[in-house]
Amino acid sequence: MSAVGLRSKGVFAVAPGFALALGLLLGGCLDNGARPLMGLNQQLAHTAVNRDPALGSDWLAVIGGREGREQVRLVRLSQGAPVPLPGLNRPDARPVSVAVDQWGERLALIRELEGRRELVLYRRSLQSLQLIPIEPAGVPHRLALSADGRVLAVEVGRGGLSQVDLLELP
Amino acid sequence: MLLGPSLLSLLLLVQACSLPWGIRRQPSPRGVLGLGAESRQDPALSGDGRLLASLVLRSGRSTVLLQDRRSGQTMPLPLLRGQQPHSSPSLSWNGRYLALLVWRGGRRQVVINDRATNRLLPLPLRGDQEAQRLSLAPDGRHLAVELVEDGQSRVEVFNLGEWLEPDPVPGSLLGQAPGSGSRP
Repeated sequence: MSAVGLRSKGVFAVAPGFALALGLLLGGCLDNGARPLMGLNQQLAHTAVNRDPALGSDWLAVIGGREGREQVRLVRLSQGAPVPLPGLNRPDARPVSVAVDQWGERLALIRELEGRRELVLYRRSLQSLQLIPIEPAGVPHRLALSADGRVLAVEVGRGGLSQVDLLELP
Repeated sequence: MLLGPSLLSLLLLVQACSLPWGIRRQPSPRGVLGLGAESRQDPALSGDGRLLASLVLRSGRSTVLLQDRRSGQTMPLPLLRGQQPHSSPSLSWNGRYLALLVWRGGRRQVVINDRATNRLLPLPLRGDQEAQRLSLAPDGRHLAVELVEDGQSRVEVFNLGEWLEPDPVPGSLLGQAPGSGSRP
């Protein structure tokens, strides 16, 4: 019987703790040996919504929070703890897509601010935020950052067509 | 002071090519990557920035295309044929592993294409979990999956260390983040 098969209302109503523990136990290993990181996944589950994950070796960047109040979060996998990102999140901005390098040092972000989308590069050690212009003009939708932090690929909508812009970073 | 035509042209050219802080724009993907006016979406880069994966339409179905970023040379992905639409590609450091979502058995599934051994490794999910987005760590040791359950998105991270050989990341423990004064 699968863990999902046990998730009947009755089981949860009588012994929710037991059912959760059993579910986690049975779901702990998938057939091929891939193992969920239980502690981290439980911590992430405390947030109402998490989406658009980006991994950089020991770092996980996600967009999470409640609807309309989402923020970029950066978690160190080995410590299972988020790190502060001063100057990156703004209450009036909606994050769209995020990427992180392997050191958790550079984060690239597309965010929506006052109805317009912009591309920014954040350097964590410097707490600096740099706006990168989209040229020719277009609407950025999604991005990727190479783990070495040197190349940025941005999907940009222009005139009904999606294109990929490639930027080399110093 | 009036600028001569040649000086004005030079200034316009410099302005068009330069971005702040030394950022350089690679010449248009149209020219380098050989796709003409074809639409492409959802880019992913190998950890070393050498390879670019993106989604293009083939026979009306979203199909992942793997290319050398500089030359535009396309790498074959024979194991992924017939499993479109593809979505959310993600590459390891050297591009040995390509994780993505494919359409198999009437549902969207997580697979990892090991290009070194020419194998396609499925990552089965429990029950009615549906994967939306993926991100593979550069060394291939972890995979983050955005799942949708009951209309809510959440992220789970899987350890693949007992399943995949690592895709070595040179100097990952000794290296220094570019442009930073100290290791984080």
